Amino acid sequence: MMTAGWLHAQESLVSPVTRTLALTNANIVQKPGQVIEKGTIVIKDGLILAVGKEVKIPVGARVIAADSMYVYAGFIDGLSHTGVPRPDNTQAQRGQAPRPQQAQQVNRSNPTNEQSGITPEQQVKDQLKADDKSIEEMRKAGFTAAHVVPRGNMLPGTGAVVLLKGSSADAMVMRNETALFSQLAGAGRVYPSTVIAVMSKWRELYKRAEQAKAHEAMYAKNPTGMARPNYDRSLQAFYPVIDKKMPVFFAASDLKSIHRALTLQDELKFPMVLTNVKQGWEVANVLKSKNIPVLVALDLPKEKKQPEKKEGDKDAAKKEKSITEQEMEILEKRSAEELQRYLAQSGVFEKAGIEFAFSAMTVKSTDVQSNLRKMIANGLSENTALAALTTTPAKMLGVANVMGTVEKGKLANLVITDKPYFAEKSNVRYVMIEGQLFEYEVVTRKAGDPNANAKPAGIWSYTINVPGQTTEGRLEIVDSNGSLSGTISNSQTNQETPISNAEIKGNALTFSANINMGGQSLVLDYELLIDGNNMEGTVSVGQFGTFRVEGSRNPGKN
Amino acid sequence: MNKYALLLTLLFGATALLAQPKTGSMLIKNGTVLTITKGTLENTDVLVEKGKITRVGKSIPAPAGVEIVDATGMYVMPGIIDAHSHIALDAINEATSPVTAEVWVGDALDPFDVSIYRALAGGCTSSHAMHGSANAIGGECETIKHRWGTKNPEDLRMANAPRTIKFALGENPMRVHGEGSGIIPASRMGVEFVIRKAFTEGKNYMEAWNKYNEEKKTNPNAVPPQYDRRLQTMADILKGDIIIHCHSYRADEIYMLMNVCRDFGVTKLCFQHVNEGFKVAPELADFGAGASVFADWWGYKFEVYYSTAYNAAILMRNGVVTSINSDSGDYIRHLYHQAGKTQRYGGLTDDEALALITINPAIQLGIDQQVGSIEVGKDADIVIFKNHPLSVYGVPQKTIVDGVVYFDINEDPDDIRIDINPEESFPAFFLEEQHGHSHDRCMQGAWEFLFERYQNFFEQQKN
Repeated sequence: MMTAGWLHAQESLVSPVTRTLALTNANIVQKPGQVIEKGTIVIKDGLILAVGKEVKIPVGARVIAADSMYVYAGFIDGLSHTGVPRPDNTQAQRGQAPRPQQAQQVNRSNPTNEQSGITPEQQVKDQLKADDKSIEEMRKAGFTAAHVVPRGNMLPGTGAVVLLKGSSADAMVMRNETALFSQLAGAGRVYPSTVIAVMSKWRELYKRAEQAKAHEAMYAKNPTGMARPNYDRSLQAFYPVIDKKMPVFFAASDLKSIHRALTLQDELKFPMVLTNVKQGWEVANVLKSKNIPVLVALDLPKEKKQPEKKEGDKDAAKKEKSITEQEMEILEKRSAEELQRYLAQSGVFEKAGIEFAFSAMTVKSTDVQSNLRKMIANGLSENTALAALTTTPAKMLGVANVMGTVEKGKLANLVITDKPYFAEKSNVRYVMIEGQLFEYEVVTRKAGDPNANAKPAGIWSYTINVPGQTTEGRLEIVDSNGSLSGTISNSQTNQETPISNAEIKGNALTFSANINMGGQSLVLDYELLIDGNNMEGTVSVGQFGTFRVEGSRNPGKN
Repeated sequence: MNKYALLLTLLFGATALLAQPKTGSMLIKNGTVLTITKGTLENTDVLVEKGKITRVGKSIPAPAGVEIVDATGMYVMPGIIDAHSHIALDAINEATSPVTAEVWVGDALDPFDVSIYRALAGGCTSSHAMHGSANAIGGECETIKHRWGTKNPEDLRMANAPRTIKFALGENPMRVHGEGSGIIPASRMGVEFVIRKAFTEGKNYMEAWNKYNEEKKTNPNAVPPQYDRRLQTMADILKGDIIIHCHSYRADEIYMLMNVCRDFGVTKLCFQHVNEGFKVAPELADFGAGASVFADWWGYKFEVYYSTAYNAAILMRNGVVTSINSDSGDYIRHLYHQAGKTQRYGGLTDDEALALITINPAIQLGIDQQVGSIEVGKDADIVIFKNHPLSVYGVPQKTIVDGVVYFDINEDPDDIRIDINPEESFPAFFLEEQHGHSHDRCMQGAWEFLFERYQNFFEQQKN
């Protein structure tokens, strides 16, 4: 697979010749607000041995000159499905029971617990795959640990805190059975199908679990002459929650779902962490007064690109706008105002004094950094943002004694960036997890020359240069009176596909192409600079990253 | 169960979740007041204080700080009540089982549904947000007040409204479960069987708990029956805690359900649609069952062909508490027109016609002590009309809930949406409506079950 090849090439695993490492001359952010300039960190056997300005580097240590770089505690994702593959079965993926041809076996009104999405007894460690690509993706974004939960519908199972490295699921797990995961997701064509049935079933399961627990306790005391309790693994999974020893991590992103989760919590009084919250600013006072911890979703609504003004727009501005245009302006203004509220959510929580970390459940890992910057631009302080990536999730997940800060004795979980992490154009250069170092290359882009008058038409050969793997192809561009079209092929899939949205500005050529990889459609966005008969630039492949492209025009053609 | 839990938390004052809905004060001056229950009063003032009607009379002085609304030349009537709608809901049918008494649409309230505002624009201040008609016994419904503008679903609930539940007879449950899933009910007999079985199981459940509560007194080893929300709800119906609102068309079935209810001692019963109600009007009156009908909507499926626009008048003149409902995000905007049709077809008086959309639906929902007429002590749910509401020229000007103006034909901005999708500038509901009729959501959520077997066939189905 092309994408897999690119990924492996980007992330080179340094095999540990020595188990002792020293990062020198780095800006070390030990915890939010506590920085050591030009300090050294010594790591031994996966633990931080020493941190400080005057630290002696042990003999035999591998020294990494982290000059002018920034070192942070490795980020901790408060909740996601990282490392949990999507089920192959597309029906199961949508949480739906089989279609009618198979429906004979399914009793819609009384399905099995599995069909209903009620498997609180499942443990995520049994679904984890150490080589799932989501682990690499998250690691590359600076995450060293994650609180992962099974996929599914209303009650998929319990979660675990895992390190984002390791050769097996068992090797990854730090803390098992951390939380009961729930969401208001119906089971498709079987009961409970809609949110009203999910809410009802939730109440019923919880009350039944309370009953069953009381019955078991009575039976344990004196079973003689008493009806024997039924063994029910799904109900038993609630017992630690009823004892308030395990929280429910309730995924509720939109405002109505948040209200519904709060309603259940209010009725049943279970310990709850509200997770993947996207529209929570409206209930900030409720969350504060009820002291409910929150995981803020790391994804944000997409900003609408403002259409660029074309020549002649000056004249257009003088013309009176039509009613439709005026209406559209008003509507767009409201959308933009609403977007601001989404961006400002974390800042609102900070001001309200709500304890929150982040959840990467629905974010594209490559968007994390830019989304955090947007939150900061809209009222979130950098210190709280960093806390929500490190110390706060460590505390929420009960692992604060081993991770979350850069301190002696903690796991050597670090993220190292070339500029301060929240600064523009900052790149993650190294990630260390329990002393194991992962190194990342930076793909840079040159600035285009808007005054150039490059001609893109013609047939080009190009290569996508990734060390260890090269993709080649042919790009044909036709210029018909300034309107560009064409096709592109590649040596990985041998498909030739049309290009779209092709545009030339000065010497900057941009276009998109779709390729099909194993049934999945990927959009490739190219940004190339043309210099005579040569071109160079990048291609972005969605969440897989950005890669360098070089090409030259085939002579004799055109 | 749900509402009791909520009530308890309210009593103990614990939670910030339950925001107290806003109330307002105003003096509505010099209007023609259509009280519905106490006649029409010319040049009369209505004083509203903290959300309640505190005085109705001539030349009432305005208390300090109370806003005066001049209603000279206007008609002041109680807010219109719709006994059958599906607005403001994110889920309508849990169509997976013929009996889903345990679900409650109050868990799926949607305060952002623009239909709420549209209803206000038609003078409608309260509606009965119902479970759909896919199941013989659907879920519990929610009586809501149209407090548009809130982002908290709790604000929509009407405090102290009794619990209600949706039942459905005839073709819908037969089709969804009989034809769709190949289970009972596939016939009208099957529907009766399903309901009788559910009542019987509810009765057994109630008895099992009673037995346990007795046994517990002497036997510490007594084990309680397993908690079951479906059976508990059925038991609550049998105890008289829940009013049944039953989707029905044919007279024989209407008569059947009255017999079933008699057999189980259930008395709180209101029929919905009831197109053949005119055939069994004396029997309905004798039972004390309500009837909530359409003015003149029928012919949308086989069991709804035998109908008449005189239905409401015949039922009313036979002593049945009758209302006219919308079952639609469109009709809910002009229920006063629907009520007016009964004057053409049946010759009802103004007060009788208006009672169909005010005090009578209030009685059917068990909220007539709070709303449905302009009387001192009732909630200030009021609509001010330009021209008489039964005139084709009648247009609501201001719609008031709890003394707060939620609709004002002159003052409201054009864009009244609450929840905006930041990723789209064009409102989604507008686009939805380009693709098909938005009203009539009674079978929403149930269609996909049918499409599995009958791909092309049900495009025209209604209700």
